Amino acid sequence: MRERFLTGYNDFVLPFVCGMLFVIVYCMVGLIRIIMQLPAADRKRFFISLVTPKTAIRNIKDIFLKCLIHVDLWKRNKLLGYMHSSIAFGWFMLILVGHIEVLLYTSDLGPKALYYPIFFRYFVAETETTMKGALIFFLMDFFLLVVLSGIALAIIKRVRSRLFGMRRTTNPSFLDLIGLYSLWSIFPLRLLAESFTADISGGSFLTKSLNYVFTEFLSNHANMLPAWWAYSCALGVFFFVLPFTRYMHIPTEILLIPLRNAGIRIVNARKGFARAQVYSCPSCGLCIDACPMGVLKGNIKDTTVYLNRQIRRKNESRIEEISDKCLLCGKCTAVCPVGVEGDKLRIAQRSVRHYNFGPDYSNIDISDQINGCNKFVKNTNSFVSSTGNERVLYFAGCMTALTPAISKATCSILDKAGTDYEIMDKDGGICCGRPMLMAGRLIQAAQLVEKNTGIILGSGADTLLLSCPICYRIFKEKYTLPGIRIVHHSEYFDELISSGRLRVTKGDVRYVFHDPCELGRGCGIYEQPRNVLSAAGEVVEAEKNRKESICCGGSLGSLTLGFDKRKAMTENALNNLTAASPDRIATACPLCMSTFARYSDRPVEDIAMILDTVTERPAARSAGVRPVKGKTDN
Amino acid sequence: MKENIVIIGGGIAGMETAAQLLDLGYKPIIIEKSDHLGGHVADWNRLFPDMSPAADVVRSLASRVSGANIFLNTEISFINKLKDSYNIMLSNGISIVTRIIVMATGFALFDASKKEEYGYGVYDQVMTNKDLEHWFNTGEDPRINDSAMNAVGFVHCVGSRDEKARNTQCSKVCCITAVKQAIELKQKFPDAMIYCFYMDLRMFGKKYEDFYIGAQRDYGIRFIRGRVSEVSENIDGRVIVKAEDTLSGKPVKATLDLLVLMSGMVCSQDSTKVANMARLPIDTDGFLKSRDNVMDIIESPKEGVFYAGACTGPKTVPETLAEARAAALKVHLFIKGLE
Amino acid sequence: MDFGFKLSPSSAINLDNVNPDKFEELHRAEPDVYKCMACGSCTSTCPAGRYSGMSIRKVILALQRGKEKEAVAMMKNCMLCGKCSMVCPRGINTRHLILSICRIYEEERK
Repeated sequence: MRERFLTGYNDFVLPFVCGMLFVIVYCMVGLIRIIMQLPAADRKRFFISLVTPKTAIRNIKDIFLKCLIHVDLWKRNKLLGYMHSSIAFGWFMLILVGHIEVLLYTSDLGPKALYYPIFFRYFVAETETTMKGALIFFLMDFFLLVVLSGIALAIIKRVRSRLFGMRRTTNPSFLDLIGLYSLWSIFPLRLLAESFTADISGGSFLTKSLNYVFTEFLSNHANMLPAWWAYSCALGVFFFVLPFTRYMHIPTEILLIPLRNAGIRIVNARKGFARAQVYSCPSCGLCIDACPMGVLKGNIKDTTVYLNRQIRRKNESRIEEISDKCLLCGKCTAVCPVGVEGDKLRIAQRSVRHYNFGPDYSNIDISDQINGCNKFVKNTNSFVSSTGNERVLYFAGCMTALTPAISKATCSILDKAGTDYEIMDKDGGICCGRPMLMAGRLIQAAQLVEKNTGIILGSGADTLLLSCPICYRIFKEKYTLPGIRIVHHSEYFDELISSGRLRVTKGDVRYVFHDPCELGRGCGIYEQPRNVLSAAGEVVEAEKNRKESICCGGSLGSLTLGFDKRKAMTENALNNLTAASPDRIATACPLCMSTFARYSDRPVEDIAMILDTVTERPAARSAGVRPVKGKTDN
Repeated sequence: MKENIVIIGGGIAGMETAAQLLDLGYKPIIIEKSDHLGGHVADWNRLFPDMSPAADVVRSLASRVSGANIFLNTEISFINKLKDSYNIMLSNGISIVTRIIVMATGFALFDASKKEEYGYGVYDQVMTNKDLEHWFNTGEDPRINDSAMNAVGFVHCVGSRDEKARNTQCSKVCCITAVKQAIELKQKFPDAMIYCFYMDLRMFGKKYEDFYIGAQRDYGIRFIRGRVSEVSENIDGRVIVKAEDTLSGKPVKATLDLLVLMSGMVCSQDSTKVANMARLPIDTDGFLKSRDNVMDIIESPKEGVFYAGACTGPKTVPETLAEARAAALKVHLFIKGLE
Repeated sequence: MDFGFKLSPSSAINLDNVNPDKFEELHRAEPDVYKCMACGSCTSTCPAGRYSGMSIRKVILALQRGKEKEAVAMMKNCMLCGKCSMVCPRGINTRHLILSICRIYEEERK
């Protein structure tokens, strides 16, 4: 090893060093700001999670798998995954190996440590004849090649995104383009610069060969310095624009992952965790193809990637427009490789809106409602409680009141199974609060939750059965009902079938199941409704299903999308469902059912209706007669 | 007369057109998909405003068209446009080359089960206007129990004036039909309370207003201005309807032994199918598009293709018959023009 | 003080005195508001109706007639459940309309 220059310095390192320092300072300030913006309890929780071994290991694992390897993208599309991990992981390895190299070969670094690992080849000549030297040279060239292949793919992706499984990509902003071009140019320039020095400082299969092939040009050392200058400038430009471009996601995601693993949620619409999410958005545009509103071209700019961009720009009118239009189906959240929660972010934006007045439910007296559904309390000493059977309170929900076929079928199934049940909203109930929550009116939603909690606790039931996934989600997430199990009818029916309480005759109808947004992505219930359906007939899958299911278009999530604007979305979702030409469409949500029924060319039914038609009425029990006494009765 | 005239649809529009053309000395061909002539009118019992039996109308028309070529149980497989004529392939294997087509494809009743909140097909005591006429004709319907008919409700505008039902148009005849049926039901069950839930009452035709006055004064039918939005079922199987009495500004609730849904008129799928085969345009209301909605309602934009009756929009029986006669005259003049 | 009769404001609506500005603002926010044909579907399906007499149909009418106080009082128990949007035969986006009213109009200060 020999140092080529005694000073170990050349002016060309300046652009890089300035850029680097700028980015580090910017990120540190940002980091502190975000952490300070967290509510005190969250902040404490975050710090504790950092030192808890379990979460700390998880953080490192997640950062490695998500930020460097991009496993989620690999799952989506191999080429897309390779492109991202080659650039991220390749670059990371270049930095890592570069540092190791510097540490191995130099001592007494001082301020040179800032730029030596980057421009090592220029300053230090090294021999590749030793085993150690050859390996390091090889590794550096190899990872450079990996990154270059990723860059090449990135250039191709700009032109033909379909090869990468993306129909549409984001429209980059001006600064994004500068960042993009400087990023693209960093690595070819590095190759060029290192090729110049390959005959002096050594190189491997890439740089050495290049130097050998273009010996005329690359051996002319007069060209050397401009190449190193260009390389440093590309880095400097990239670092200077980074905070103002989508590339800010690289440092932010490293913060977002531990925050998420600490269990922190969005509280403030713009600060803290929300801010970390917004800046973590890599503008990849996967949410554009995912968005069900995307069937209409005019809605493309209302996807989550653009919401993040507008929040960064503080463009209030666009933020409002984008957040109010969204159906809150959660698909952008499901497909987002960094975990930006597009739906929750929008609810948070809605929650800061100013209203001159709002509802107030303090005058609502729930005693009537409790009296309407408290037979379990009244009958405490009767045989009902002594059978050990569950006491089911059925809350059909507002939407089910408009699709009576579902509630009628549900009651019929409960009768057939011999379940002891009571209907909570026979004469109209109080809304579950989820629609209010979706509109961002969190205080009002909490009041509704409180009212319903009072009714349910007063009913003496031990199981709350729900037909509507919209209700189900808020009951699961926001209600505290000690001793009461909350079940969606798809779960409950699945249990009834598997425990043999229903006698089901399988038919030969081909069903496709539409995963309602709130039930699937919202509550993670995918298999139970399919189990119910497969007991009734054959189940085929939609082209996009489960986590990727497409919103029916009827969602209450959107505040501004009018009825006439939703037709195209419903038709698109129907096309997705009928890809395997099923006879009938099944779903487990009253709102999805009536939305689809409006435009469908084949019958649309709730799983309750389907199950009821294939379930036999047991001969021993007739309607109205309660189940035979259980074994505890002796 | 070697010119073929094909009339698609054997309802009253098709029959009247054929009858007129027969009188003019032509021998038209009627193509009817069902096994009988008369269309929707054949399913009806009596017709407003004079309560004339629908069967008489169908019978007299049928006797007048006996000289025509009638294909029952026949559908149209496809239509080819030739140079200045059409080749119509029928489902029975016969093909007809013609220069003249009269579209008398009529309408379809809105499928009331699509208004899920009304519970047609779900609740036992909910029927449609057509079901009620069927009961008038046959006296058979499990939903109508002679001993327990204390309260009956009629819901107007089911599948009409309703974006959610994908038909924003008024079906025109349901108001008067509801009044007629309410009177008839009251005649059968004088003690029953009968409600009509309406949004607007459109009594536009000859003597309709008299009918309405009679329903109010002589039969005591209760008219409630409000659209029914929810129907639920009692334990005893009766239905509870909820509406707003918009005139008093209060929600109303009524428990009924029978609920009759006034299904509106929509363009039938078969009508649209045949129109697509003949490349006829569809108007924004979903019915077939005329050359001009004022001057040329019975002419299609295609040479030699004419319309008669409800294929261009909801119509009453006399309007349909008048159009059919006009269509026959147009056909006659068209043939004269060809010679 | 009892005069033997009551002084009460006329219940008649004088359209000359109704300031249309706010309703115009509402109309800009939700253009379909004029599409209401007063069928009453929304009122009869409304779960809040039994508590506060909520009727978005009446609210629209009251706002057009300058009776803002009445309208605001009716809206106090709205749960934003969306049933009215579901049943509206004219396809009015009632939920957005309600939120817009809450933004544009003001509650009488006590």
